[in-house]
Amino acid sequence: MSSPTLPSSSGAPGSADSSAVRRNSKRPKYSKFTQQELPACKPILTPRWVISAFMLVSIVFIPIGVASLFASRDVVEIIDRYDIDCIPASNRTDKVQYIQSPGDKTCIRTLKVPKHMKHPIYVYYQLDNFYQNHRRYVKSRSDQQLRDNSSASDVGDCKPEDMINGSYIVPCGLIAWSLFNDTYSFSINSSQNLTVNKKGISWKSDREHKFGKDVYPKNFQSGGLIGGATLDPSIPLSEQEALIVWMRTAALPTFRKLYGKIEQDLEENDTIRVTLGNYYNTYSFNGKKKLVLSTTSWLGGKNDFLGIAYLTVGGLCFFLAMAFTIVYLVKPRQLGDPSYLSWNRNPGWH
Amino acid sequence: MKRYVDINDDESSYDVYCDNRISNRKYTILNFLPKNLWEQFSRFMNQYFLLIACLQLWSLITPVNPASTWGPLIFIFAVSATKEAWDDYNRYLSDKKANEREVWIVRHGVKKLIQAQDIRVGNIVWLRENDEAPCDLVLLGTSDPQGLCYIETAALDGETDLKTRVVPSACMGIDPELLHKIKGVIECPSPDRDIRRFDANLRLLPPFLDNDVCPLTIKNTILQTCYLRNTEWACGVAVYTGNETKMGMSRGAPEPKLTAVDAMIDKLTGAIFIFQIVVVMVLGIAGNVWKDTEARKQWYVLYPHEGPWYELLVIPLRFELLCSIMIPISIKVSLDLVKSLYAKFIDWDQKMIDGETGTPAHATNTAISEDLGQVEYILTDKTGTLTENKMIFRRCCISGKFHGNESGDALKDVELLNAIESGSPDVIRFLTVMAICNTVIPVQSKTGAISYKAQSQDEDALVHAAAKLHMVLVNRNANILEIKFDGTVIHYEVLETLEFTSDRKRMSLVVKDCENGKIFLLTKGADEAIIPYAIPGQQTRTFVEAVEQYSQLGLRTLCLAWRELMADEYYEWSLAFKEASSSLVDREWRIAEVCQRIEHDFQVLGVTAIEDRLQDGVPETIETLRRAGINFWMLTGDKQNTAIQIALSCNFISPEPKGQLLLIDGKTKDEVCRSLERVLLTMRITSSEPKDVAFVVDGWALEIALTYHRKAFTDLAILSRTAICCRVTPSQKAQLVQLLKSCDYRTLAIGDGGNDVKMIQQADIGVGISGREGLQAARAADYSIGKFRFLKRLILVHGRYSYNRTAFLSQYSFYKSLLICFIQIFFSFISGISGTSLFNSVSLMAYNVFYTSIPVLVSVLDKDVGEETVMQHPQILFYCQAGRLLNPSTFAGWFGRSLFHAVVVFAISIHAYAFEKSEMEEVSMVALSGCIWLQAFVVALETNSFTILQHLAIWGNLLAFYIINLMLSAIPSSGMYTIMFRLCRQPSYWLTMLIIFGAGMGPILALKYFRYTYRPSQINKLQQAERMGGPILSLGNIEPQARSTEIAVSPLSITQPKNRNPVYEPLLSDSPNSTRKSLGTGTPFDFFQSQTTRLSSSYSRNCKDN
Repeated sequence: MSSPTLPSSSGAPGSADSSAVRRNSKRPKYSKFTQQELPACKPILTPRWVISAFMLVSIVFIPIGVASLFASRDVVEIIDRYDIDCIPASNRTDKVQYIQSPGDKTCIRTLKVPKHMKHPIYVYYQLDNFYQNHRRYVKSRSDQQLRDNSSASDVGDCKPEDMINGSYIVPCGLIAWSLFNDTYSFSINSSQNLTVNKKGISWKSDREHKFGKDVYPKNFQSGGLIGGATLDPSIPLSEQEALIVWMRTAALPTFRKLYGKIEQDLEENDTIRVTLGNYYNTYSFNGKKKLVLSTTSWLGGKNDFLGIAYLTVGGLCFFLAMAFTIVYLVKPRQLGDPSYLSWNRNPGWH
Repeated sequence: MKRYVDINDDESSYDVYCDNRISNRKYTILNFLPKNLWEQFSRFMNQYFLLIACLQLWSLITPVNPASTWGPLIFIFAVSATKEAWDDYNRYLSDKKANEREVWIVRHGVKKLIQAQDIRVGNIVWLRENDEAPCDLVLLGTSDPQGLCYIETAALDGETDLKTRVVPSACMGIDPELLHKIKGVIECPSPDRDIRRFDANLRLLPPFLDNDVCPLTIKNTILQTCYLRNTEWACGVAVYTGNETKMGMSRGAPEPKLTAVDAMIDKLTGAIFIFQIVVVMVLGIAGNVWKDTEARKQWYVLYPHEGPWYELLVIPLRFELLCSIMIPISIKVSLDLVKSLYAKFIDWDQKMIDGETGTPAHATNTAISEDLGQVEYILTDKTGTLTENKMIFRRCCISGKFHGNESGDALKDVELLNAIESGSPDVIRFLTVMAICNTVIPVQSKTGAISYKAQSQDEDALVHAAAKLHMVLVNRNANILEIKFDGTVIHYEVLETLEFTSDRKRMSLVVKDCENGKIFLLTKGADEAIIPYAIPGQQTRTFVEAVEQYSQLGLRTLCLAWRELMADEYYEWSLAFKEASSSLVDREWRIAEVCQRIEHDFQVLGVTAIEDRLQDGVPETIETLRRAGINFWMLTGDKQNTAIQIALSCNFISPEPKGQLLLIDGKTKDEVCRSLERVLLTMRITSSEPKDVAFVVDGWALEIALTYHRKAFTDLAILSRTAICCRVTPSQKAQLVQLLKSCDYRTLAIGDGGNDVKMIQQADIGVGISGREGLQAARAADYSIGKFRFLKRLILVHGRYSYNRTAFLSQYSFYKSLLICFIQIFFSFISGISGTSLFNSVSLMAYNVFYTSIPVLVSVLDKDVGEETVMQHPQILFYCQAGRLLNPSTFAGWFGRSLFHAVVVFAISIHAYAFEKSEMEEVSMVALSGCIWLQAFVVALETNSFTILQHLAIWGNLLAFYIINLMLSAIPSSGMYTIMFRLCRQPSYWLTMLIIFGAGMGPILALKYFRYTYRPSQINKLQQAERMGGPILSLGNIEPQARSTEIAVSPLSITQPKNRNPVYEPLLSDSPNSTRKSLGTGTPFDFFQSQTTRLSSSYSRNCKDN
């Protein structure tokens, strides 16, 4: 049974089995695996290998870094922080009181386009110091309820924004409740209206699978405590794209969310007038609000990080390769000389 | 507490004592689940995981789905429970077999066949020859008119020789028929585990009234699992049954052995646990502070103003759960898995199959392979372990003539053959004694070929040799011995057999020549038991010389002698002998005394020399293992002289002038103490010199040293790399193991016989040689091998690889768990220290169970250096012995690496995916894939040899990660729906992975390269040497490595010529039969004299052998 797999080259014990051993059925099967003799490649870290590896990495990384930086620099970005400026000077001592009081909070901002911006231009709002990833916040939602009309009662995780006067809130939970409600409208060169397309800003998969077409807001923001924006109860959730975007919680306390898209090019030195409704309260926790207009590149938005990181690592690898080469040339070392073995050199371990 | 046994009473004692059902089972069907769970939960790790799992049920604090802990936990529990259940089922089957065996007992005065489990206390049980006793019996009768029977107690105490048992005096001579009706009461102690003691009384009831209370001892019992031998039948009354027998009481699962590696892993786990607690406390406090200051301002979080009382605990507990992955739940499963694979590799190894018998090596204990690589002391038995235990008659000295000195084989010695041819009377007598003075039983097969059944290998060798010299023992029929010499048949009538005892060290036969009616006394025995009793006037000097010469060669010597007895003398003596044999008090002593009366005035015929050949490859094996820094102790029941010779011939100790032997001896406390101190002093002085110092101690001195001078002896044990302990009992062997273990050394005990069982069980690793003395040692051992030489491969290849692999695997397991845990901790700093988990439940569970455990499992195939290289440079084992690959400092390295990688992954992920891309699921996936990439490359970097399986596992796993996640991303209801598709389409994702790889691995590679090239360890140097091609031969002679406490190696100078009492007292306390029935060899006299002259010859002989 075992003998056919036994190659003649299997070494010393193989020769013995012809005679005495046949009777023993316990005799283990021969295979390269059971004998731990699988052919193996045993690379070692030779200077040549390591130095060329580092060279290779630096050769690959530095161009990538340069390309990434160029991509990032190509992106034109207009950032406008408005959270303080949009509060009348008289109210700046108590911003929270101002933002919580009713009344018209319209605010006009003027932006200048520094460079030609190709469409589509994305309009983001950026919040700083806003912890969408806080454990209490991030859990406070009901995916079931958002997806399915019949699961309106599935509000177990939504406390304390789960019910109002005995009826369920749809969409429930803190995330929906705190929906961002500043509004922006744009006009270009003080006359032309600049349309902002708010359709298609959310993920298609969310619209189709996460938010139900037949789920309509119910009892939303009808309690005593109003969080953020209200929703039109006649529009199904799958079309409430601002909500869908907001519900994709951010992992970092500084994040941008898409507000809309401008589907036309902006020329250099164009002036954009933004009429914004400053309603959202970031003042109680010293959060910042920014309006961002940005084009995009193959790498995404303006972010120098990858480019710098690639250049740094590439440079470092180049430096290491150089250093190793120099050390290798200055102090060559014969690998694999048995005389280096400590027991061949002197008794006792160093 | 006493128990009263009513003999043959069918009613009364039935319900008082338990029945004879043997049960080794740990569980029943009903209690399996609770009991097994209870046992599993008595382990700290499991308690920890259970606590975590329970905490996760509290949804307020759980960061992830409870299934992420419950799933693996239940899986792990199920695996070990299944294993336990399977083992227990097998125990049940073997119990069942024993319980349902049929035995004859007496019920209501009639003999009946019942199942063994139905025996009750008080039943009379009948045994036939070769039956196994089903319970502890007190003998009532045997087929022997003198009330004797023979039993074999191998299963009980491992001694293979037969022991005699006698019927108590009160029952002596009762007719077998009447035994059915016997009634009486036995008063005996409550069950205990002492197999050498049974103090009870017997009183028979009418009609067997014997007014006296008859005392019973262990000599009157047959204990459970003993076999009845050489006796037609015996019957006895059951006194202890079932699990209350002496055997049952001393049974008990052997303590599970914990390897040094396991202990280290436990220690590291404890350290990580403490680290975790600290982290949790710091984060918990920080979290609460943050909550009370910052989070209150964050209106969107809607913290209630008044929380319940436990509010303060919530955040710390959340962090506890978040950090619980720091201790990898998979490590136990992974370790169990790889350990059983190590064991399988041992079982499968073709290079460890004994070519002669085809016995493969076997690992009974699958959990301790790593320890093999960390062995520091090997304690080895001699006979059958180092030697083949195949005795071959080599030389003899007949009436002053040495035979076989030239050819090394007396059977081919021309002079001897001529002498036989010519019928020299001395030679004929010599051969006659060789052939018949023994207890060998010839068995004639149908073809007429004669085979011999001998209990002693020496006797076997003598009879075989005699047969080759034409003196054939043909038949042994009752009292008639038939031998054939050159075609003529000679008959002898055996009048008496004076059996071998280790006190007398000789055995004799009184025979009558059937032709002429002459009566002879034939004796063979140890020289010191024969030569001093030679007939005055006979020249014995040549015999003494012969004995000395032979034992210098490591041969076992026996002296043969005879004496013609006058008929009167015999008859007079035989009366005394009969009386002594039937005496009730001190029988043994009286028999010995009577024997003494006839065993004197011998005419010494000659000396035989029997070779117990060294097994193949023993010297190389010992040499290699000693170079590997392993210390050898030889523990043998044999004589000092023989032991030293064998030790010399197998490189155990080096010959002069490199080596030095120090002797510890003495008969009294003070003598031993003095000698011990002298040896210690010498040891300390020579410890700086490159000398190979070994000490020699015999059983008697050892007993004293261990009892009274334990501390000094322990110091000695630590100083000495080599020791020879002769004449030691099984329990002393175990004590020595215990002693070394108490000094924190890893010990390996290797032996082949029943007398090694104790030592094997005691040692950290027990290795049994499945040899000629049966399988007891092999069965009791953790590993069994066919030949001693396989030990080299077992330790250097299997042990070393196992250790290396486990060291990597366990540290790696911590590395990957810490990596993901650090990321979670970092993330909590940007999520308001609220305990949010960056990763979702599925990822967390799969990370530990699938993504990271498969690549590392194939590290069981990793070899840092080739097998041949290890064999050539056994010194490399030092790294395992000293635990260089798994200790707090290597672990700190891995800890630092995981911290570094966590920083790299986290920092790059959150910066590359900032602003509009900072979507939770995406960032989490980016970080997770970063971890997977890094861990794949870490495994790749740490792998020394890539086989196809490694490539498959490492890169296949990376691929599988994407496939699994793409599949998960295709499920609409899952949290990560479409995430992976999105990511894979973004160039920035792949660029992020690449930069994580570059930034994470670059420094690691640079550091490793630097160490490897400029601060290489010996392992690295060997790797380089091996792979730069060409055979790597060591330069010059290799200086064995010694630890600082040890002395370097080298042979045998004699410090103290000593005058020793030529009459060697019988050794050792309890059982005179306990040492192996080796008929003594060698002289007890100054073995140090003329040693040096002989050394060269023994050395070269030994070289030939190899």
